[in-house]
Amino acid sequence: MNLSIPSILLISVLALIGIGLYGLLIVRNLIKVVIALQLLAKGAMLALVLAGSVAKDVNLGQSIALTVIVADTIVAVIGLALAVQIRRHFGTLDLKALTTLRR
Amino acid sequence: MPALWIGLAIGLPWLGALIVLIVGDQRPRGQHGAAVGFALAAGAAGVGLLFNTDAAHAVSLPVGGAFGDFTFLADGLGVFLAAVATVVGSLAVIFSVDYMKGEHQLGRYYGFVLFFIGAMVGLVLTSSLLLMFVFWEITALCSYALISFYNDDPKAVAGGMKALIITQLGGIGLLAGALLLFSYQHNYDIPTFLANPNIMPGNVLAVMAFGCLAAAAAKSAQFPFHTWLPEAMEAPTPISALIHAATMVNAGVYLLARFYPAFQAVPGWREAVVIIGMISALLAAIMALVATDLKRVLAYSTVSQLGYMVFAVGAGGLYASQFHLLSHSVFKALLFLSAGAVIHGIGTRDMRLMGGLGKQMPIVRNVFMIGALALMGIPVLNGFWSKEMVLEAGLVFGTEHGMVWAYVLMLVGAGLTALYTIRCIWMVFYGPSRTQNRAHNAGPAMRAALIPLALGTLTTWLLANPFLRLLETVGAFKGLLGTVESGWEMLLEVVVAPSTWLALFVIGLGLLAWQGRSRLVGIKRGLEGLARAAEASFGFEAINRGIVKTVQTGAESLRVTQTGLLNWNILGLVAGLVVVLIVLILGG
Repeated sequence: MNLSIPSILLISVLALIGIGLYGLLIVRNLIKVVIALQLLAKGAMLALVLAGSVAKDVNLGQSIALTVIVADTIVAVIGLALAVQIRRHFGTLDLKALTTLRR
Repeated sequence: MPALWIGLAIGLPWLGALIVLIVGDQRPRGQHGAAVGFALAAGAAGVGLLFNTDAAHAVSLPVGGAFGDFTFLADGLGVFLAAVATVVGSLAVIFSVDYMKGEHQLGRYYGFVLFFIGAMVGLVLTSSLLLMFVFWEITALCSYALISFYNDDPKAVAGGMKALIITQLGGIGLLAGALLLFSYQHNYDIPTFLANPNIMPGNVLAVMAFGCLAAAAAKSAQFPFHTWLPEAMEAPTPISALIHAATMVNAGVYLLARFYPAFQAVPGWREAVVIIGMISALLAAIMALVATDLKRVLAYSTVSQLGYMVFAVGAGGLYASQFHLLSHSVFKALLFLSAGAVIHGIGTRDMRLMGGLGKQMPIVRNVFMIGALALMGIPVLNGFWSKEMVLEAGLVFGTEHGMVWAYVLMLVGAGLTALYTIRCIWMVFYGPSRTQNRAHNAGPAMRAALIPLALGTLTTWLLANPFLRLLETVGAFKGLLGTVESGWEMLLEVVVAPSTWLALFVIGLGLLAWQGRSRLVGIKRGLEGLARAAEASFGFEAINRGIVKTVQTGAESLRVTQTGLLNWNILGLVAGLVVVLIVLILGG
């Protein structure tokens, strides 16, 4: 079996997005949610780089991927900060215990 | 030059709103001064606009493809309403100096009043339907905020919410009209549309026409949306005079008149407008007859008079409707402001606790009488001329379309108007005093606002001719204003028309009915059922409550779908994505 680099990358993209989505669907711990979100975003970045290289516009793909990295870092930082505050406030990170808005 | 005047008339009040907020609630004197200064400047700009009409676009701001150009147009119809909004607005602000003395949070009050005045000017001067919708909603928001100004009073908060919800409901009709216009014309320009309404297929035009009718009925408190206006009387009285009598509620009539050239050919539209106006005029007059709250009586009479204007638009009397709008704005603002002086003086709104106030506040009584006589339609006050024109337009339409009964019912409404107005005057100013409270007379700022309005009530009918010239500058009204050469001719026609004398006879009957009320006990007893129904506002309140209850129960039962759990929400997102992908694959 002889895989070309783009197809390996494509498989990695799908795998990352799949793992991320699966994680978001099943985990209940807020830290794990942040991790799953990161995996999902890494898949998206990789897809951008891949698309750039396939379309022969490497600079565009990579620069957009860089932008996403910056934005994604902020998401991760804020997500973790929220997790810390929630842990202090509610004493738990379990998503099921955090449905107070409902009532 | 109109561009400059438009900019001033919208910009000055908005700048004033900002400055009043910056001055801050610690300096109420500065706030009063700034508000009056900017309101007067805006009033001057509004009057200046009257002499700078122009049928071409005065201002055009390109804002990109999806929104079209933001255009403003200073034609006769628009500048007339802008002048009414700014002039009555400045008088209401002057009145507020006395009325709101010592209140907290004046910044919020004056800020919203000035913001409203600017938005109202924008609403009538813009020629982009989308921008008109935006201004339309700004005025609704200001109205809500000012009705609920006393936000520690649950009744005021509820009244504000009710007004907001009902006018928003109608706003949907206007938005639908704007989007339909865009989809066929690829911009929101109103004059282009009025010049060629056939760009739309007939049934789409009908949807737009009835959408605009719903919007106008909600804004102008017409049947079946009239229930919000009486509740809006929780607002401070200058607000009732400005927003809920003289300006914002006229926006619906303005909308109907503006689009009349395009919608008149839609089958059934004119008849629907006439019937809505007629029902509102009649029902509200009956409810005014039994109301005991002074401001509610005036609110019902506003609904009733707006009904006359809507009726006139439907009957094709564009000039009559706009002329009555002018008269009504002046005399109803006068009535509300003098009622405000009474309420401020005696500290209650209940007419059963008033009586005999005429001796204690003679000036207020005199100006209230002037306004009330105009409301009844007694010659030679402005209300007489315009109401007769409305009735005459109704008679012409009725004979042409076999709807003379509508005209007859409007005549009955005129008689009822006389009856409830004289009842109101009697309960407030004459008869024995029914309270221990001593009333204090109106302050100087109140009088400064009341006197010009009283003079206006006596004289605005003299403007009949310039007013006709003003409306003739509206391109789309060509050929719709009748065949008369001048406004003088119209006044003469009113005097010689038999329908005028018939109407005066009916009004006289209304007054006689009050005179002989003790002898009419038998009839009164027979009508007790009707009176009780009117006190319960003919079941419309019950319908409103029912709708609110249904929505609340429905929302409660939909709560199950909100798990509040992240995992379920993600599942929903992914499922939606999958559906989109499947549709794309199948459709592609």
